[in-house]
Amino acid sequence: MNAPITNAPDLQNIVAGFDHESFGSQAVFRVALNALSHPGRVFDMPLETALPHQGHGAAAALLLGMLDADTTLWLSPALASSDAPAWLRFHTGCQIVTDASVAQFLWVAQGDGMPQLTSLQMGSDAYPDQSATFVLEVDSLHSEAGGWRLQGPGIATERNLHALGLPCDFAAQWANNHASFPRGVDVFLSTATHIAGLPRTTRILIDSES
Amino acid sequence: MFQSFDNADVQRSTTRPEWMALLARAPQSLLDRALPANSGAAPQWLRKPETGLMMVQGRAGGTGERFNLGEITVTRCALRLAGADAQAPVGVAYVLGRNHRQAQLAAMADALLQDPANLEELEEKLLKPVREHLQQLQTVRHERAQTTKVDFLTVAREAGGGDDEEEEA
Repeated sequence: MNAPITNAPDLQNIVAGFDHESFGSQAVFRVALNALSHPGRVFDMPLETALPHQGHGAAAALLLGMLDADTTLWLSPALASSDAPAWLRFHTGCQIVTDASVAQFLWVAQGDGMPQLTSLQMGSDAYPDQSATFVLEVDSLHSEAGGWRLQGPGIATERNLHALGLPCDFAAQWANNHASFPRGVDVFLSTATHIAGLPRTTRILIDSES
Repeated sequence: MFQSFDNADVQRSTTRPEWMALLARAPQSLLDRALPANSGAAPQWLRKPETGLMMVQGRAGGTGERFNLGEITVTRCALRLAGADAQAPVGVAYVLGRNHRQAQLAAMADALLQDPANLEELEEKLLKPVREHLQQLQTVRHERAQTTKVDFLTVAREAGGGDDEEEEA
């Protein structure tokens, strides 16, 4: 495993965490749970916390609620050079790693290239839970028709999700990820205020193809 | 208890590691007395006081291999002073025990001391009394230890020495 970045957090630039530690993280955890239980449904993220300057607030709050001292986190370049890693390290004690393929959590900023899903930790057949969780910032999330149609556990028939700002081969990468079930990464799509979950069990159908 | 680096150096002002080491051992009564004006308002918490355990390591005789001596209870917190802006210095404190108020006051003192304007006043009002308190504690302990001192130089050894000479002869 790569050596973690040993940046002693520069306290001067760190802002506060959850207004109320347990209630704040529980509210975030509930939203994350709902998002993965209802794939593709867009959820309002409670932002009862001070936030770093860089990165979407919903993504930051999600990670603040989910990370702890046993987890490793990889950040895309725009985030890695901002005040976000110091903030997360101070409040959660997580390890920041420079190699995306060993990280348990990944946070990719809007506008930064995302690593290939297949290059991330996929877990093993015996331990599929040891896979990475990917927080991906997008421009916008809508549940209108015209984007993806999602199918799978947690969706009665079909659900529409329109996510703008993803790489054009995301759906193809996702098909590979879905095919490697029970292994595979779980994705959270995040705007500044909302998140949607894409667990590995969800199929993405694109209207033009079907 | 009292370390050599606790001595005030007239040549230069106290550095942050030095005053943090002093504040970590300052009793709450001294902190309360030195920070009356600031201690009322609620600070902006970065990390509210939290109590946990830390493993203390020791070396036998100060030079041997490290070993785990045992766990101690530590309370820590980090804060900005009430009314301070977002870029204001952050006060941090780690104190022994479970006294949240003591940790808060020590962190507030740390935040104040990082502003050079406050350094001289607090040096006089806070750090000096803390130094004296630690010095006094050290003296009391030393005196108490001295009463148990045993002098092993006794007549028996001199007599033993005489026996050796006889055997050699």
